[in-house]
Amino acid sequence: MSSVVTYTLSRCVKCMKCVKACPSGALTMENSRINIRHDRCLNCGRCITACHNQGLLAKGSTLDDIKCYDYTVAMIPSALIHDCSSLGEAGELFYAIKMLGFDEVVDITAIEGQLMQEAQLLAESSPESSLISSVCPVINRLIETNYPMLLNSVVPLNYPSEVAAKQIRRRTKDKGNVGIFNFCECEAKLALAKYPYGNKQYEVDHSLAIVDIFPKIKQNMHQGSIPVEFCREGLQSCNPAMMLQKPEYLTADGFDKVNNILGLAEFQLLNQFKLLTLFPCFNGCIGGHLLWGNSYLTKNNIHALTDTSRKKPAEIEFDDLYTADLSKSADDKRSFQEKMEFFSKVNEQLEKLPGYDCSACGMQTCRNMAEEIVRGNKTINDCRIHAAMKEKVKHAGK
Amino acid sequence: MSVILHKVYVVERDDYANAGMVSSSVKQTLAQIGIDPKILRNIAVACYEAEINMIIHAYGGAVSLDVSDDGIIHLVFKDPGPGIPDLEKAMTPGWSTASEKARAMGFGAGMGLVNIKRVSDTFDIKTSPSGTTLTLTFKASI
Repeated sequence: MSSVVTYTLSRCVKCMKCVKACPSGALTMENSRINIRHDRCLNCGRCITACHNQGLLAKGSTLDDIKCYDYTVAMIPSALIHDCSSLGEAGELFYAIKMLGFDEVVDITAIEGQLMQEAQLLAESSPESSLISSVCPVINRLIETNYPMLLNSVVPLNYPSEVAAKQIRRRTKDKGNVGIFNFCECEAKLALAKYPYGNKQYEVDHSLAIVDIFPKIKQNMHQGSIPVEFCREGLQSCNPAMMLQKPEYLTADGFDKVNNILGLAEFQLLNQFKLLTLFPCFNGCIGGHLLWGNSYLTKNNIHALTDTSRKKPAEIEFDDLYTADLSKSADDKRSFQEKMEFFSKVNEQLEKLPGYDCSACGMQTCRNMAEEIVRGNKTINDCRIHAAMKEKVKHAGK
Repeated sequence: MSVILHKVYVVERDDYANAGMVSSSVKQTLAQIGIDPKILRNIAVACYEAEINMIIHAYGGAVSLDVSDDGIIHLVFKDPGPGIPDLEKAMTPGWSTASEKARAMGFGAGMGLVNIKRVSDTFDIKTSPSGTTLTLTFKASI
Protein backbone atom coordinates (compact mmCIF):
# COMPACT_ATOMS: atom_id res chain seq x y z
CA MET A 1 0.00 0.00 0.00
CA SER A 2 1.47 3.35 -0.98
CA SER A 3 0.77 6.79 0.41
CA VAL A 4 -2.10 8.89 -0.93
CA VAL A 5 -0.69 12.07 0.58
CA THR A 6 0.62 14.67 -1.84
CA TYR A 7 2.85 17.57 -0.91
CA THR A 8 2.72 21.12 -2.24
CA LEU A 9 6.08 22.83 -1.81
CA SER A 10 4.74 26.36 -2.37
CA ARG A 11 2.35 26.00 0.56
CA CYS A 12 4.92 24.60 2.99
CA VAL A 13 6.12 26.96 5.72
CA LYS A 14 8.56 24.36 7.13
CA CYS A 15 6.95 24.35 10.57
CA MET A 16 7.53 20.58 10.95
CA LYS A 17 4.06 20.04 12.41
CA CYS A 18 3.40 17.20 9.97
CA VAL A 19 6.72 15.51 10.75
CA LYS A 20 5.89 15.55 14.46
CA ALA A 21 2.29 14.38 13.89
CA CYS A 22 3.22 11.22 11.99
CA PRO A 23 2.69 8.11 14.15
CA SER A 24 5.04 5.96 12.07
CA GLY A 25 7.87 8.36 11.30
CA ALA A 26 7.11 8.34 7.57
CA LEU A 27 7.71 12.05 7.10
CA THR A 28 11.11 13.71 7.08
CA MET A 29 12.36 17.03 5.83
CA GLU A 30 15.19 16.82 3.35
CA ASN A 31 16.66 19.78 1.46
CA SER A 32 13.86 22.04 2.74
CA ARG A 33 11.07 19.84 1.46
CA ILE A 34 8.94 17.11 2.99
CA ASN A 35 9.75 13.58 1.95
CA ILE A 36 7.06 10.90 2.43
CA ARG A 37 8.27 7.34 2.86
CA HIS A 38 5.67 5.22 1.12
CA ASP A 39 6.68 2.02 2.88
CA ARG A 40 6.00 3.52 6.30
CA CYS A 41 2.94 5.70 5.63
CA LEU A 42 -0.27 4.48 7.33
CA ASN A 43 -2.55 6.85 5.36
CA CYS A 44 -4.05 7.95 8.65
CA GLY A 45 -4.24 11.58 7.57
CA ARG A 46 -2.79 12.99 10.78
CA CYS A 47 -0.22 15.00 8.85
CA ILE A 48 -2.98 16.46 6.65
CA THR A 49 -4.90 17.61 9.73
CA ALA A 50 -1.75 18.91 11.39
CA CYS A 51 -0.87 21.17 8.44
CA HIS A 52 -2.62 24.53 8.84
CA ASN A 53 -1.63 25.65 5.37
CA GLN A 54 -3.12 22.87 3.22
CA GLY A 55 0.37 21.84 2.18
CA LEU A 56 -0.56 18.17 2.37
CA LEU A 57 -3.62 16.72 0.66
CA ALA A 58 -5.06 13.29 -0.09
CA LYS A 59 -5.48 12.83 -3.80
CA GLY A 60 -7.84 10.29 -5.34
CA SER A 61 -8.86 9.68 -8.95
CA THR A 62 -11.06 12.13 -10.84
CA LEU A 63 -14.39 11.60 -12.59
CA ASP A 64 -12.60 11.87 -15.95
CA ASP A 65 -11.41 8.31 -15.41
CA ILE A 66 -14.97 7.07 -16.08
CA LYS A 67 -14.35 7.61 -19.79
CA CYS A 68 -11.69 4.87 -19.86
CA TYR A 69 -14.27 2.10 -19.31
CA ASP A 70 -17.17 0.50 -21.19
CA TYR A 71 -19.17 -0.09 -18.02
CA THR A 72 -18.72 1.68 -14.70
CA VAL A 73 -19.89 0.77 -11.22
CA ALA A 74 -19.89 3.14 -8.22
CA MET A 75 -19.66 1.55 -4.76
CA ILE A 76 -21.18 3.47 -1.86
CA PRO A 77 -20.02 2.47 1.64
CA SER A 78 -22.24 2.94 4.67
CA ALA A 79 -20.31 5.95 5.98
CA LEU A 80 -21.54 8.00 3.03
CA ILE A 81 -25.16 7.08 3.65
CA HIS A 82 -25.05 8.53 7.15
CA ASP A 83 -25.49 11.99 5.73
CA CYS A 84 -29.01 11.00 4.68
CA SER A 85 -31.76 11.05 7.29
CA SER A 86 -34.24 8.88 5.36
CA LEU A 87 -34.34 6.22 2.66
CA GLY A 88 -35.86 8.78 0.28
CA GLU A 89 -32.93 11.11 0.75
CA ALA A 90 -30.52 8.22 0.26
CA GLY A 91 -32.33 7.36 -2.97
CA GLU A 92 -31.77 10.90 -4.17
CA LEU A 93 -28.09 10.68 -3.29
CA PHE A 94 -27.75 7.44 -5.26
CA TYR A 95 -29.54 9.03 -8.23
CA ALA A 96 -27.26 12.09 -8.08
CA ILE A 97 -24.19 9.84 -8.07
CA LYS A 98 -25.54 7.83 -11.00
CA MET A 99 -26.01 11.06 -12.96
CA LEU A 100 -22.25 11.68 -12.72
CA GLY A 101 -21.94 9.09 -15.48
CA PHE A 102 -22.03 5.68 -13.78
CA ASP A 103 -23.92 2.73 -15.22
CA GLU A 104 -24.64 1.27 -11.82
CA VAL A 105 -24.59 2.50 -8.22
CA VAL A 106 -24.39 -0.22 -5.57
CA ASP A 107 -24.46 -0.01 -1.81
CA ILE A 108 -22.14 -2.41 -0.02
CA THR A 109 -23.84 -2.36 3.39
CA ALA A 110 -24.84 -6.02 3.11
CA ILE A 111 -21.20 -7.03 2.66
CA GLU A 112 -20.05 -4.75 5.47
CA GLY A 113 -22.69 -6.36 7.66
CA GLN A 114 -21.61 -9.88 6.78
CA LEU A 115 -17.94 -9.07 7.42
CA MET A 116 -18.77 -7.66 10.84
CA GLN A 117 -20.76 -10.78 11.75
CA GLU A 118 -18.04 -13.10 10.42
CA ALA A 119 -15.43 -11.25 12.49
CA GLN A 120 -17.58 -11.73 15.59
CA LEU A 121 -18.06 -15.43 14.83
CA LEU A 122 -14.34 -15.94 14.27
CA ALA A 123 -13.52 -14.11 17.48
CA GLU A 124 -15.99 -16.12 19.54
CA SER A 125 -14.60 -19.42 18.30
CA SER A 126 -10.99 -18.34 18.75
CA PRO A 127 -9.51 -20.27 21.70
CA GLU A 128 -7.31 -17.75 23.46
CA SER A 129 -6.32 -14.12 23.16
CA SER A 130 -8.52 -11.45 21.64
CA LEU A 131 -8.79 -10.81 17.90
CA ILE A 132 -8.60 -7.37 16.30
CA SER A 133 -11.08 -6.38 13.60
CA SER A 134 -9.41 -5.81 10.24
CA VAL A 135 -11.95 -3.36 8.88
CA CYS A 136 -9.77 -0.24 9.14
CA PRO A 137 -6.63 -0.16 6.96
CA VAL A 138 -4.97 2.33 9.32
CA ILE A 139 -5.24 -0.05 12.27
CA ASN A 140 -3.80 -2.91 10.22
CA ARG A 141 -0.86 -0.78 9.11
CA LEU A 142 -0.38 0.64 12.60
CA ILE A 143 -0.09 -2.89 14.01
CA GLU A 144 2.36 -3.79 11.26
CA THR A 145 4.68 -0.85 12.00
CA ASN A 146 4.23 -0.15 15.72
CA TYR A 147 2.72 -3.27 17.32
CA PRO A 148 4.16 -6.25 15.38
CA MET A 149 3.48 -8.55 18.36
CA LEU A 150 -0.23 -8.33 17.56
CA LEU A 151 0.03 -9.24 13.87
CA ASN A 152 -1.34 -12.73 14.45
CA SER A 153 -4.38 -11.31 16.23
CA VAL A 154 -5.73 -9.46 13.19
CA VAL A 155 -8.92 -11.08 11.85
CA PRO A 156 -8.00 -12.56 8.44
CA LEU A 157 -10.93 -10.96 6.62
CA ASN A 158 -10.60 -8.70 3.59
CA TYR A 159 -11.86 -5.12 3.30
CA PRO A 160 -15.57 -4.69 2.38
CA SER A 161 -14.64 -2.72 -0.75
CA GLU A 162 -12.43 -5.56 -1.98
CA VAL A 163 -14.99 -8.29 -1.31
CA ALA A 164 -17.68 -6.21 -3.04
CA ALA A 165 -15.45 -5.42 -6.03
CA LYS A 166 -14.72 -9.13 -6.51
CA GLN A 167 -18.45 -9.89 -6.57
CA ILE A 168 -19.17 -7.06 -9.00
CA ARG A 169 -16.32 -8.16 -11.27
CA ARG A 170 -17.81 -11.67 -11.44
CA ARG A 171 -21.34 -10.41 -12.06
CA THR A 172 -20.31 -8.04 -14.88
CA LYS A 173 -17.99 -10.44 -16.73
CA ASP A 174 -19.77 -9.94 -20.07
CA LYS A 175 -19.96 -6.15 -19.88
CA GLY A 176 -16.54 -5.53 -21.50
CA ASN A 177 -14.03 -3.30 -19.80
CA VAL A 178 -15.54 -2.74 -16.34
CA GLY A 179 -14.34 0.07 -14.10
CA ILE A 180 -15.08 -0.18 -10.37
CA PHE A 181 -15.05 3.12 -8.48
CA ASN A 182 -15.11 3.28 -4.71
CA PHE A 183 -16.36 6.42 -2.99
CA CYS A 184 -14.19 6.99 0.05
CA GLU A 185 -14.74 8.72 3.37
CA CYS A 186 -11.10 8.71 4.47
CA GLU A 187 -7.53 8.73 3.19
CA ALA A 188 -6.87 5.14 4.17
CA LYS A 189 -9.69 3.77 2.01
CA LEU A 190 -8.49 5.91 -0.90
CA ALA A 191 -5.30 3.90 -0.87
CA LEU A 192 -7.20 0.63 -1.48
CA ALA A 193 -7.33 1.02 -5.26
CA LYS A 194 -5.22 0.16 -8.30
CA TYR A 195 -4.97 3.66 -9.74
CA PRO A 196 -3.37 6.14 -9.50
CA TYR A 197 -1.14 4.57 -6.84
CA GLY A 198 -0.10 1.47 -8.76
CA ASN A 199 -1.40 -1.06 -6.20
CA LYS A 200 -1.78 -4.08 -8.46
CA GLN A 201 -3.18 -6.34 -5.73
CA TYR A 202 -6.54 -4.57 -5.39
CA GLU A 203 -9.79 -5.29 -7.24
CA VAL A 204 -11.09 -1.72 -6.99
CA ASP A 205 -9.88 0.30 -10.00
CA HIS A 206 -10.29 3.86 -8.77
CA SER A 207 -11.10 5.51 -5.51
CA LEU A 208 -12.73 8.90 -5.35
CA ALA A 209 -12.41 11.31 -2.46
CA ILE A 210 -16.02 12.17 -1.69
CA VAL A 211 -15.11 15.70 -0.69
CA ASP A 212 -13.86 16.44 -4.23
CA ILE A 213 -16.98 15.07 -5.91
CA PHE A 214 -19.51 16.54 -3.49
CA PRO A 215 -20.11 19.88 -5.32
CA LYS A 216 -21.07 17.93 -8.44
CA ILE A 217 -23.31 15.55 -6.50
CA LYS A 218 -25.07 18.52 -4.94
CA GLN A 219 -25.97 19.89 -8.37
CA ASN A 220 -27.74 16.63 -9.21
CA MET A 221 -29.60 16.32 -5.91
CA HIS A 222 -33.43 16.51 -5.78
CA GLN A 223 -33.80 15.64 -9.47
CA GLY A 224 -34.73 12.02 -9.18
CA SER A 225 -34.52 8.97 -7.00
CA ILE A 226 -33.54 5.32 -7.12
CA PRO A 227 -35.25 2.85 -4.75
CA VAL A 228 -32.67 1.79 -2.16
CA GLU A 229 -32.56 -0.66 0.69
CA PHE A 230 -29.80 -1.03 3.25
CA CYS A 231 -28.54 -3.64 5.65
CA ARG A 232 -28.84 -2.61 9.27
CA GLU A 233 -25.70 -4.50 10.39
CA GLY A 234 -23.69 -2.81 7.65
CA LEU A 235 -24.83 0.66 8.68
CA GLN A 236 -23.97 -0.14 12.27
CA SER A 237 -20.52 -1.49 11.46
CA CYS A 238 -19.01 1.93 10.88
CA ASN A 239 -19.86 3.55 14.18
CA PRO A 240 -18.54 2.25 17.52
CA ALA A 241 -21.60 3.39 19.47
CA MET A 242 -24.02 1.59 17.16
CA MET A 243 -22.22 -1.73 16.92
CA LEU A 244 -23.55 -4.81 18.66
CA GLN A 245 -22.65 -4.27 22.32
CA LYS A 246 -21.64 -7.32 24.28
CA PRO A 247 -19.45 -7.53 27.38
CA GLU A 248 -16.84 -9.48 25.41
CA TYR A 249 -16.55 -6.94 22.57
CA LEU A 250 -14.48 -3.83 22.98
CA THR A 251 -14.88 -0.85 20.68
CA ALA A 252 -12.86 2.36 20.76
CA ASP A 253 -12.45 5.43 18.60
CA GLY A 254 -9.82 8.17 18.43
CA PHE A 255 -6.15 7.72 17.65
CA ASP A 256 -4.77 8.08 21.18
CA LYS A 257 -7.30 5.68 22.65
CA VAL A 258 -6.55 3.13 19.96
CA ASN A 259 -2.82 3.36 20.69
CA ASN A 260 -3.52 2.94 24.38
CA ILE A 261 -5.59 -0.20 23.75
CA LEU A 262 -3.06 -1.76 21.40
CA GLY A 263 -0.39 -1.15 24.04
CA LEU A 264 -2.48 -3.00 26.63
CA ALA A 265 -3.21 -5.81 24.17
CA GLU A 266 0.53 -6.33 23.72
CA PHE A 267 0.77 -7.19 27.41
CA GLN A 268 -2.18 -9.59 26.92
CA LEU A 269 -4.23 -7.58 29.37
CA LEU A 270 -7.36 -7.55 27.24
CA ASN A 271 -7.77 -11.30 26.90
CA GLN A 272 -11.20 -11.12 28.50
CA PHE A 273 -12.38 -9.41 25.32
CA LYS A 274 -12.95 -11.61 22.31
CA LEU A 275 -12.96 -8.90 19.67
CA LEU A 276 -11.40 -5.45 19.59
CA THR A 277 -12.93 -3.13 17.02
CA LEU A 278 -10.79 -0.03 16.76
CA PHE A 279 -11.39 3.18 14.81
CA PRO A 280 -8.65 5.80 14.62
CA CYS A 281 -11.26 8.43 13.63
CA PHE A 282 -13.68 9.83 16.22
CA ASN A 283 -17.12 8.24 15.81
CA GLY A 284 -15.64 5.60 13.51
CA CYS A 285 -15.91 5.77 9.74
CA ILE A 286 -18.57 8.49 9.77
CA GLY A 287 -15.84 10.71 11.24
CA GLY A 288 -13.67 10.18 8.13
CA HIS A 289 -11.67 13.23 7.10
CA LEU A 290 -13.09 13.35 3.60
CA LEU A 291 -16.74 13.60 4.67
CA TRP A 292 -18.39 17.00 4.79
CA GLY A 293 -20.88 16.40 7.62
CA ASN A 294 -20.11 16.67 11.33
CA SER A 295 -20.02 13.12 12.65
CA TYR A 296 -21.68 14.09 15.94
CA LEU A 297 -24.70 15.29 13.96
CA THR A 298 -24.79 12.59 11.29
CA LYS A 299 -24.67 9.95 14.04
CA ASN A 300 -28.36 10.59 14.66
CA ASN A 301 -29.22 9.64 11.10
CA ILE A 302 -28.21 6.03 11.77
CA HIS A 303 -31.15 5.58 14.14
CA ALA A 304 -33.60 6.74 11.49
CA LEU A 305 -31.98 4.60 8.79
CA THR A 306 -31.53 1.41 10.80
CA ASP A 307 -35.22 1.40 11.70
CA THR A 308 -36.14 1.22 8.03
CA SER A 309 -33.31 -1.04 6.84
CA ARG A 310 -34.46 -4.57 6.12
CA LYS A 311 -31.82 -6.02 3.82
CA LYS A 312 -30.16 -9.16 5.20
CA PRO A 313 -26.36 -9.35 5.48
CA ALA A 314 -24.78 -10.91 2.38
CA GLU A 315 -24.07 -14.64 2.26
CA ILE A 316 -20.77 -14.76 0.45
CA GLU A 317 -18.62 -17.87 0.78
CA PHE A 318 -15.81 -17.67 3.31
CA ASP A 319 -13.07 -18.12 0.69
CA ASP A 320 -14.08 -14.83 -0.90
CA LEU A 321 -13.88 -12.99 2.40
CA TYR A 322 -10.62 -14.47 3.60
CA THR A 323 -7.21 -12.88 3.10
CA ALA A 324 -3.82 -13.80 4.48
CA ASP A 325 -2.17 -10.55 3.44
CA LEU A 326 -3.05 -8.57 6.54
CA SER A 327 -0.81 -10.43 8.95
CA LYS A 328 2.41 -10.22 7.00
CA SER A 329 5.28 -8.60 8.82
CA ALA A 330 8.31 -6.93 7.36
CA ASP A 331 11.04 -9.52 7.91
CA ASP A 332 14.13 -8.27 9.66
CA LYS A 333 16.90 -10.33 8.07
CA ARG A 334 19.68 -9.00 10.27
CA SER A 335 21.33 -11.37 12.74
CA PHE A 336 21.16 -10.68 16.46
CA GLN A 337 24.78 -9.50 16.47
CA GLU A 338 24.11 -7.01 13.65
CA LYS A 339 21.02 -5.71 15.43
CA MET A 340 22.91 -5.22 18.68
CA GLU A 341 25.81 -3.53 16.93
CA PHE A 342 23.48 -1.06 15.22
CA PHE A 343 21.58 -0.44 18.48
CA SER A 344 24.81 0.28 20.39
CA LYS A 345 26.04 2.67 17.71
CA VAL A 346 22.70 4.50 17.69
CA ASN A 347 22.82 4.87 21.47
CA GLU A 348 26.36 6.22 21.22
CA GLN A 349 25.21 8.94 18.79
CA LEU A 350 22.08 9.59 20.81
CA GLU A 351 24.18 10.62 23.80
CA LYS A 352 25.74 13.43 21.74
CA LEU A 353 22.36 14.77 20.64
CA PRO A 354 20.37 17.19 22.85
CA GLY A 355 17.29 14.93 23.18
CA TYR A 356 14.73 17.71 22.69
CA ASP A 357 13.09 15.92 19.73
CA CYS A 358 12.68 19.38 18.17
CA SER A 359 12.62 18.05 14.57
CA ALA A 360 14.69 21.04 13.37
CA CYS A 361 17.09 18.65 11.63
CA GLY A 362 14.21 17.23 9.59
CA MET A 363 13.87 13.98 11.52
CA GLN A 364 11.02 13.30 13.92
CA THR A 365 13.06 12.44 17.01
CA CYS A 366 16.67 12.51 18.13
CA ARG A 367 16.65 8.70 17.93
CA ASN A 368 15.67 8.84 14.25
CA MET A 369 18.48 11.34 13.73
CA ALA A 370 20.98 9.07 15.50
CA GLU A 371 19.89 6.18 13.27
CA GLU A 372 20.45 8.31 10.17
CA ILE A 373 23.89 9.34 11.42
CA VAL A 374 24.83 5.68 11.92
CA ARG A 375 23.52 4.86 8.42
CA GLY A 376 25.76 7.65 7.10
CA ASN A 377 22.95 9.82 5.69
CA LYS A 378 23.47 12.68 8.15
CA THR A 379 26.26 14.04 10.31
CA ILE A 380 26.13 15.35 13.85
CA ASN A 381 26.56 18.90 12.44
CA ASP A 382 23.10 18.62 10.82
CA CYS A 383 21.68 18.97 14.33
CA ARG A 384 20.83 22.67 14.66
CA ILE A 385 21.29 22.75 18.42
CA HIS A 386 24.60 20.95 18.25
CA ALA A 387 25.80 23.43 15.60
CA ALA A 388 24.61 26.43 17.64
CA MET A 389 26.39 25.18 20.75
CA LYS A 390 29.58 24.70 18.76
CA GLU A 391 29.31 28.26 17.43
CA LYS A 392 28.85 29.58 20.96
CA VAL A 393 31.93 27.76 22.20
CA LYS A 394 33.91 29.17 19.25
CA HIS A 395 32.88 32.75 20.07
CA ALA A 396 33.60 32.25 23.74
CA GLY A 397 37.09 31.11 22.77
CA LYS A 398 37.73 34.38 20.93
CA MET B 1 29.68 -14.10 27.00
CA SER B 2 29.59 -10.44 27.97
CA VAL B 3 26.78 -8.06 28.77
CA ILE B 4 26.24 -5.44 26.07
CA LEU B 5 23.19 -3.70 27.47
CA HIS B 6 22.41 -3.15 31.12
CA LYS B 7 19.48 -1.15 32.49
CA VAL B 8 17.99 -0.88 35.97
CA TYR B 9 14.47 0.33 36.77
CA VAL B 10 12.86 1.08 40.12
CA VAL B 11 9.36 -0.07 41.07
CA GLU B 12 7.51 1.65 43.94
CA ARG B 13 5.19 -0.16 46.33
CA ASP B 14 1.43 0.39 45.76
CA ASP B 15 2.19 2.72 42.84
CA TYR B 16 -0.83 1.68 40.80
CA ALA B 17 -0.76 4.91 38.76
CA ASN B 18 2.53 3.92 37.15
CA ALA B 19 1.86 0.18 36.96
CA GLY B 20 3.26 -1.12 33.70
CA MET B 21 5.68 1.76 33.07
CA VAL B 22 8.76 -0.41 33.59
CA SER B 23 7.40 -3.13 31.30
CA SER B 24 6.60 -0.54 28.65
CA SER B 25 10.11 0.79 28.86
CA VAL B 26 11.64 -2.71 28.65
CA LYS B 27 9.38 -3.51 25.70
CA GLN B 28 10.32 -0.29 23.92
CA THR B 29 14.05 -0.83 24.41
CA LEU B 30 13.88 -4.40 23.11
CA ALA B 31 11.70 -3.32 20.17
CA GLN B 32 14.31 -0.69 19.28
CA ILE B 33 16.94 -3.42 19.13
CA GLY B 34 14.67 -5.30 16.77
CA ILE B 35 13.96 -8.44 18.83
CA ASP B 36 11.59 -10.86 17.07
CA PRO B 37 7.97 -9.86 17.91
CA LYS B 38 7.08 -13.44 18.92
CA ILE B 39 9.81 -13.52 21.57
CA LEU B 40 9.13 -9.93 22.57
CA ARG B 41 5.51 -10.83 23.25
CA ASN B 42 6.56 -13.42 25.83
CA ILE B 43 9.00 -11.02 27.45
CA ALA B 44 6.35 -8.30 27.66
CA VAL B 45 3.82 -10.62 29.29
CA ALA B 46 6.31 -11.98 31.85
CA CYS B 47 7.74 -8.57 32.64
CA TYR B 48 4.32 -7.03 33.18
CA GLU B 49 3.16 -9.82 35.48
CA ALA B 50 6.34 -9.68 37.54
CA GLU B 51 6.22 -5.89 37.78
CA ILE B 52 2.63 -5.95 38.99
CA ASN B 53 3.56 -8.63 41.55
CA MET B 54 6.18 -6.28 42.97
CA ILE B 55 3.69 -3.43 43.23
CA ILE B 56 0.84 -5.33 44.85
CA HIS B 57 2.60 -8.01 46.92
CA ALA B 58 6.09 -6.69 47.73
CA TYR B 59 7.50 -3.46 49.11
CA GLY B 60 8.52 -2.31 45.62
CA GLY B 61 11.89 -3.29 44.24
CA ALA B 62 14.22 -3.12 41.26
CA VAL B 63 14.12 -4.62 37.79
CA SER B 64 17.30 -5.15 35.83
CA LEU B 65 17.48 -5.87 32.13
CA ASP B 66 20.65 -7.35 30.66
CA VAL B 67 21.25 -8.37 27.09
CA SER B 68 24.36 -10.41 26.46
CA ASP B 69 26.17 -10.81 23.15
CA ASP B 70 25.14 -14.47 22.77
CA GLY B 71 21.52 -13.34 22.40
CA ILE B 72 20.23 -14.10 25.88
CA ILE B 73 17.97 -11.58 27.61
CA HIS B 74 18.07 -11.69 31.42
CA LEU B 75 15.41 -10.08 33.56
CA VAL B 76 15.93 -9.96 37.31
CA PHE B 77 13.19 -8.78 39.68
CA LYS B 78 14.48 -8.15 43.17
CA ASP B 79 12.35 -6.99 46.08
CA PRO B 80 13.10 -6.44 49.79
CA GLY B 81 10.26 -8.58 51.14
CA PRO B 82 8.00 -9.82 52.61
CA GLY B 83 8.65 -12.98 50.55
CA ILE B 84 6.19 -15.65 49.43
CA PRO B 85 5.09 -17.79 52.43
CA ASP B 86 4.15 -20.87 50.40
CA LEU B 87 5.84 -20.98 47.02
CA GLU B 88 4.17 -24.21 46.00
CA LYS B 89 0.73 -22.69 46.53
CA ALA B 90 1.77 -19.50 44.71
CA MET B 91 2.63 -21.61 41.68
CA THR B 92 -0.90 -23.09 41.63
CA PRO B 93 -3.17 -21.57 38.99
CA GLY B 94 -5.88 -19.38 40.53
CA TRP B 95 -4.33 -19.07 43.99
CA SER B 96 -3.95 -15.44 45.06
CA THR B 97 -3.33 -13.36 48.17
CA ALA B 98 -3.96 -10.01 46.45
CA SER B 99 -5.64 -7.31 48.54
CA GLU B 100 -9.19 -6.09 47.94
CA LYS B 101 -7.80 -2.86 46.50
CA ALA B 102 -5.68 -4.77 43.98
CA ARG B 103 -8.55 -7.05 42.98
CA ALA B 104 -10.85 -4.08 42.53
CA MET B 105 -8.40 -2.73 39.98
CA GLY B 106 -8.40 -5.97 38.02
CA PHE B 107 -5.15 -7.41 39.36
CA GLY B 108 -4.62 -10.54 41.40
CA ALA B 109 -6.26 -13.25 39.29
CA GLY B 110 -3.83 -15.79 40.66
CA MET B 111 -2.20 -16.54 37.33
CA GLY B 112 0.89 -14.31 37.67
CA LEU B 113 3.69 -16.75 38.43
CA VAL B 114 2.08 -19.52 36.41
CA ASN B 115 1.98 -17.34 33.33
CA ILE B 116 5.52 -16.08 33.83
CA LYS B 117 6.82 -19.65 34.02
CA ARG B 118 4.86 -20.64 30.92
CA VAL B 119 6.32 -17.94 28.66
CA SER B 120 9.95 -17.78 29.87
CA ASP B 121 12.81 -20.02 28.73
CA THR B 122 14.31 -20.39 32.20
CA PHE B 123 12.56 -19.53 35.44
CA ASP B 124 14.21 -19.27 38.82
CA ILE B 125 12.68 -17.96 42.02
CA LYS B 126 14.30 -17.60 45.43
CA THR B 127 12.21 -16.33 48.30
CA SER B 128 12.65 -15.61 52.00
CA PRO B 129 11.01 -13.11 54.41
CA SER B 130 13.80 -10.65 53.56
CA GLY B 131 13.02 -10.65 49.85
CA THR B 132 12.27 -12.47 46.62
CA THR B 133 14.48 -12.68 43.55
CA LEU B 134 12.96 -13.81 40.29
CA THR B 135 15.38 -14.48 37.45
CA LEU B 136 14.10 -15.07 33.93
CA THR B 137 15.96 -15.63 30.71
CA PHE B 138 14.79 -15.54 27.13
CA LYS B 139 16.62 -16.61 23.98
CA ALA B 140 16.48 -13.72 21.50
CA SER B 141 18.41 -15.30 18.65
CA ILE B 142 17.82 -18.71 17.15
